[in-house]
Amino acid sequence: MKKILLLFFVATLAVSCVDDLNTKPEIDLTLEELLKQDPNAVSGILSRLYGSFALSGADGPGSSDIDDDAGESPFLRGIVNLQDFTADGLKNRWGDDGLDQLTTTSKWDENNKFFRYMYNRIYYTIPQANNLINVLSGVDVANKSQIEGEVRFLRALAYYYLIDCFGKGVLANEENFGQSAPLPEVSRTELYNYVESELLAVEGLLPDSNSYGRADKAAAQFLLARLYMNAEVYTGTTQYANALTYAEKVITGSGHSLAPEFLQNFSADNHTSPEIIFPLIADADVSQSYGNTTYIVNGSLSGETMTLSDYGATDGWGGHRASKGWYGLFAADAAGLAASSDKRAHLFWTGGHAYEMESYEKWSDGFPSIKFRNSAFNNPTGTNTSFSSTDFPLFRLADAYLMYAEAQLKGGGGTAATALQYVNDVRSRAGATVISASELTADFILDERGRELNFEGVRRSDLIRNGKFTGASYTWPWKGNTLNGSTIPDYYKLFPIPQRSLEANPNLTQNTGY
Amino acid sequence: MNFENVVVCFVRFRSSNLTQTLHTFVGEEVCYLDLLTKINYMKKQIQNALVCLFFVASFGLYAQQTVSGVVTDESGNPLPSVNVVAKGTSTGVSTDFDGNYTISVANGSALVFSSIGFETLELTVAGATLNATLSESASELDEVVVIGYGTTTVKDATGSVASITTEDFNQGAIVSSDQLLTGKVAGVVITNSGGAPDAAPNIRIRGGASLSAENSPLIVIDGVPLDVVTPAGVGNPLSLINPNDIASFSILKDASATAIYGSRASNGVILIMTKKGTLGETKYNLSMSASMSEVSDKLELMDGPTFERFINEYHPTYANLLGVNGVMYNTDWQDAVFRTSYSSIVNFSVAGSVEEKTPYRFSLGHTNTEGLVNTNDYERLSTTFRINPSFFDEKLKVDFNAKAFYVNKNAIDEGGALGNIVSMDPTKPIYDENSAFGGYYQGTRQDGGLTVLDGTWNPVAMLMQRQRPEKLLRILTNMELDYSLPFVEGLRAVVNVGLEKSDADIREAFSQNAIATYKVGRFNPGENYREEQSITNKTLEGYLAYTIDFDGLLQSLDAQAGYSYQNFQNEGTKELYQYDETSGAREVLVNENNPTNRYYSDLNLQSFFGRTNLNFAGKYLVTLSVRADASSLFAEDNRWGIFPAAAIAWRLSDETFIESLNVFDNLKLRAGWGETGQSNISGAVGYYPSYPFFQIGSATSKYLPGENLYNARMFNPNLTWEKTTTLNAGIDFGVFNGVLSGSVDVFKRDTNDLLANAPVPPGQAPASSFIDNIGSTESEGFEVSIDVLAIDTQNSSLNVFANGAYAKTTITDLNGIKQVGAGGGLPIGTGTFLLRHALNQQAGAAWVFRQMYNEAGEPVYNAFADLNQDGVITNDDRYLRAMRPNYTFGFGFNFNYKQLSLSSSFRGQYGGQVYNARRLTSGFTERPVPVNTQALSNVLNFYNGAANPIIYDQKGNVAFSDYFLEDASFIRCENITLGYAFEPLNNGTQIQASFTVNNAFLFTKYSGQDPENFGGIDNNFYPRPRVFTLGLNFDF
Repeated sequence: MKKILLLFFVATLAVSCVDDLNTKPEIDLTLEELLKQDPNAVSGILSRLYGSFALSGADGPGSSDIDDDAGESPFLRGIVNLQDFTADGLKNRWGDDGLDQLTTTSKWDENNKFFRYMYNRIYYTIPQANNLINVLSGVDVANKSQIEGEVRFLRALAYYYLIDCFGKGVLANEENFGQSAPLPEVSRTELYNYVESELLAVEGLLPDSNSYGRADKAAAQFLLARLYMNAEVYTGTTQYANALTYAEKVITGSGHSLAPEFLQNFSADNHTSPEIIFPLIADADVSQSYGNTTYIVNGSLSGETMTLSDYGATDGWGGHRASKGWYGLFAADAAGLAASSDKRAHLFWTGGHAYEMESYEKWSDGFPSIKFRNSAFNNPTGTNTSFSSTDFPLFRLADAYLMYAEAQLKGGGGTAATALQYVNDVRSRAGATVISASELTADFILDERGRELNFEGVRRSDLIRNGKFTGASYTWPWKGNTLNGSTIPDYYKLFPIPQRSLEANPNLTQNTGY
Repeated sequence: MNFENVVVCFVRFRSSNLTQTLHTFVGEEVCYLDLLTKINYMKKQIQNALVCLFFVASFGLYAQQTVSGVVTDESGNPLPSVNVVAKGTSTGVSTDFDGNYTISVANGSALVFSSIGFETLELTVAGATLNATLSESASELDEVVVIGYGTTTVKDATGSVASITTEDFNQGAIVSSDQLLTGKVAGVVITNSGGAPDAAPNIRIRGGASLSAENSPLIVIDGVPLDVVTPAGVGNPLSLINPNDIASFSILKDASATAIYGSRASNGVILIMTKKGTLGETKYNLSMSASMSEVSDKLELMDGPTFERFINEYHPTYANLLGVNGVMYNTDWQDAVFRTSYSSIVNFSVAGSVEEKTPYRFSLGHTNTEGLVNTNDYERLSTTFRINPSFFDEKLKVDFNAKAFYVNKNAIDEGGALGNIVSMDPTKPIYDENSAFGGYYQGTRQDGGLTVLDGTWNPVAMLMQRQRPEKLLRILTNMELDYSLPFVEGLRAVVNVGLEKSDADIREAFSQNAIATYKVGRFNPGENYREEQSITNKTLEGYLAYTIDFDGLLQSLDAQAGYSYQNFQNEGTKELYQYDETSGAREVLVNENNPTNRYYSDLNLQSFFGRTNLNFAGKYLVTLSVRADASSLFAEDNRWGIFPAAAIAWRLSDETFIESLNVFDNLKLRAGWGETGQSNISGAVGYYPSYPFFQIGSATSKYLPGENLYNARMFNPNLTWEKTTTLNAGIDFGVFNGVLSGSVDVFKRDTNDLLANAPVPPGQAPASSFIDNIGSTESEGFEVSIDVLAIDTQNSSLNVFANGAYAKTTITDLNGIKQVGAGGGLPIGTGTFLLRHALNQQAGAAWVFRQMYNEAGEPVYNAFADLNQDGVITNDDRYLRAMRPNYTFGFGFNFNYKQLSLSSSFRGQYGGQVYNARRLTSGFTERPVPVNTQALSNVLNFYNGAANPIIYDQKGNVAFSDYFLEDASFIRCENITLGYAFEPLNNGTQIQASFTVNNAFLFTKYSGQDPENFGGIDNNFYPRPRVFTLGLNFDF
């Protein structure tokens, strides 16, 4: 009897179990626990922020930081899709809804998931950076100001793509982080001014050189140069003098040099190239993503006409081919490409393929680009892998050379002789004939940028800056969804703000025309 | 706290020696793995044992004898005109004026004594004289209804409570307990996710109130609320209780009834009570059934010759890809993968008592089910033991309950196999004797001197070359102590402790030459995935109950107050593999930071509750309840929610002015109001959504060389309870002496602080969407249930039942946002979603364009109505169409004539839409064109109208055409059962035989396979089988 009463007593004592409501995850850790376990944890958090441009998520290539498909949505994949497939040099043939509209520059609307992917990735990276800045303020780590500089650089990089692709958005920073009321929309100019001031500030925080994959002074200077190059598009005011100044800083002050061979920059061992200023890292074993160079390499290969192992790959997705908008800059037919002294002209697979892209959906129409490959430059008969180990050269010295030349030509100061020298440096490295001063025109530079930089995520911006993207003054195969190209409206210089984002923040407005 | 040990000891609890048992509380542990060994052994023995039992049961011999006696009431008065029938026969007599009868029956058989107003009594003939005493019957109105932390009667219930007992259950090959209920209760819709033996049931009471939080009702088995997660590998949590052990269900629909369960009760509560032992003779039951299942509906795909014709007409340049080396085969890939499947169920139970005072029941069950898809096998072994001893002159009542289940199933790659039977080219063979892939045909091509896979994987090989046994051992025990305290009359203390322990073991392995393991020219047979999971759930509930009767207006008061503690712990490890990129060898994927890929979650729920039932003048009933709940999912400041409820009922039939009409047996008006809560968002955001944590990145997601990767997880510290307020009014009636009875309920429900996965304003949190308390919904509806006893004579009876319900939930606020995505991914690539939660619309509505049709009624490709007439087709021209049906219904009958019985039940829905995704993915003419392969894809048959060749691709707006939406109304014949009760053997053994057809037929206008689709998008559907079952039941 007494034992029974005791039992009830025990039961009522359960009230003291209210503490059990504070459950703990055990596998995931608080910041304090993380730092206790790994004193170097801040680097791991920073690594994650760098990785947000190449990885889809933190839990393998099938995981996604945003609630969109892990395979299709990574940042770098978005850069290639939005910058290269919408432009003259590259077309995708899968016919995927959304991607097909990019490749044919037609029927763009706010439902296209590829715009949403890019927008969501930008606005995933920015608050991650804001969070990390706040986290940093509460912990004691070495090199704090340098790390803060790197975080702010990465945030500015994400904002750069917002400015370039969508033209407006909210200005989220460490101060309004966590605010739940929707932020106001700010203009392209305000975003531009913010990114400019941030980059100028971080230039002083970043080191002269940093470990591989991390931003140094030159990375900030390069991004400033790129921002200034396009300033007229973004703000209506040209900034070629600033562009030239910062391109020059990169060229003369960073210690980088052109790689002896063009192809060194696009092979699996390109981390040894002296030319790459800021890479997006890929590794077949420890840094897997369907959205890093894996997308470029595998996407450009198909067993239908090629041997995958020639390029260190095991999977060919048979999606991307260059068009004559790119290889037409070298020669008018396959034989001409083969005969060219320009080694860049040889980086197209012509066997079994037609020069003309009569149908963009037919694999054998158009030449696949073999510029990017997963085989090593120095030992090309290495291993074949399904994921790529080739880093993406997001910023590369040759681009700075060509920026200098273009800025010089467009009134940014400097000397014409230096401009010509830089262009010829780029050309001679590839084995192309040198040009004379009279040949150096804005159109030539645009074409040279195509020859040198296509598939590197800058082509659409280059065409817009030179007034060639919209309208009918310049056409390419399948522009406006016609075989020989047709006009596209001016408002296509910006992508539509995705439907979902408009819904999530009522302060956001759609871009004109959409 | 740790009372796990205490509870485990209960497993050892035997019968009457309480003192000894209490000694064991001190912490003696029983490793339940011992039980595993025993169960495995038992499993092997059971079938042998059952065969023996069958023979024992059949030993009796026929021998007639004359029996006579007198029938009296409890006061000893003789009862005239009592029917005395030999059980299971048509032989019967009536007692004379003095209560005497004489009848000739087989020795050992049972006599059934019945008379209006008295409980029916069954006695076994043991000699020439058999006297019977009948007790006055309690009417149906006095039937006990379990309502959570107590019981009430049908007469006194104030809330909307439906009670379903064994005689109402669906018949046939019932594998999981939800199937007993399907179509039986107004407003309860159970939609299984397909025809797999373990398919998830998706139960919705009144349509569900939430958006992203849980919409399933709370399920409570013998007083123990079930876990929020299902063990790994288990599709249907309700398959983890043997349907044959269930005595009854109580379904609490309105808030006044559910509020006592506070948290988790917004979507209603299903209380499951298992069978108990009985006083009196020991009863044995053996039931066996054998079933055969077949596919009821196949997809209308092209056969080989038709496909050949199609390719030659539409895609002649690809005709060279047909067949193999010019040889055309004609393979029906659906036939190749589906099978006629066979299943068996055997159940044995013993119900009796120890020394005529301690009831117990023991049961064993074995279910072996083959799924329609080849290799999808399911086996379950279950055992239960329940004993109800009493002590101290019945002052302490103990209810001890232990259930153990062992499940072994072979999980198939459902999406892969069901998807590939649709796309696989029908001109290709299943087998190819020259194939390197174990004799199965497989498309290949050459790359750099290496053979690589090409095109769709052979679905037959995918099934046959992969084994994925998912094994689960689960033990569910609880003990309830109900003690009438000696010092206050009417005061009881009740404590219920429960422990649930599940151990799951999943191993995926491939056989030699499996297509799936072919990498870089080599095969990798053997293990490919492994997961071991352990779930430990603890429940402790204690309450004081006080009952007192008064003279005067307030006739009685019944009150409970108590505390509830629940903890759910789920942990496990995984072994992951990857293929070495160079050698093609499969190897373990090692994550140094989490070597065993361990996962862990811990959820804690605690509550305080109180309820009182007041009875005024025997006619006016009042129930008041309140519950305070806390969930560990929310941050400390937002953790507690308080949920009150009140209900009144007026027993009109006890008023003289109604009584004098002599029409109503029962007439009661009910009204209730209450608040309930919802917190279960773990499915959407895990178990720690309110605090910041860092995740350790996987071994393949590193970035900077030499660095680990740490990911800041999204969190929302402001999360709190979703709250639902329900108003309910109802009427229960019975007229003409039980001929017609029924009830009608109307309800209105408002849910606020809705937990929904909403897009975060871009840039303001490191996620593109997260769960938040946003907005409100409003629901309204009604339910009608009717029961008609059309025929009730000595030889025959006919009972007809019908129920219908209407429920509509509209979104009334979304925090200023007009609409948010609601999933509904369309199977074209990824990232294309159909469904929206939009203001002033039903939840999860399809956002579509209105398709344009030509004069011939044919759809025009990519032409849509310009609804806003601005000359362009944009999102502004889309409209929202509700997907969920508003009307659901069920009906059926039970007919008995002498030894024959026939019953049937039907259910269905009126309205609702289903998106025929097969017409989208396989109904456009460009579909067969290979992308980056040398393989063609099969399509729906364009020549017989299964698809329309006008739709030639599926880009842009095409997928959002309302052309793909079809009316989902249907009526399904759930089952037809023909039963026959044999003359009892003279040892008293009674035998019933039955033949049942489940899913006998389906009426629908839907052009696809099956309109009953929970998600509304019909794609890769596992067909529901048509099942023929022969059953035998022995009572002895």
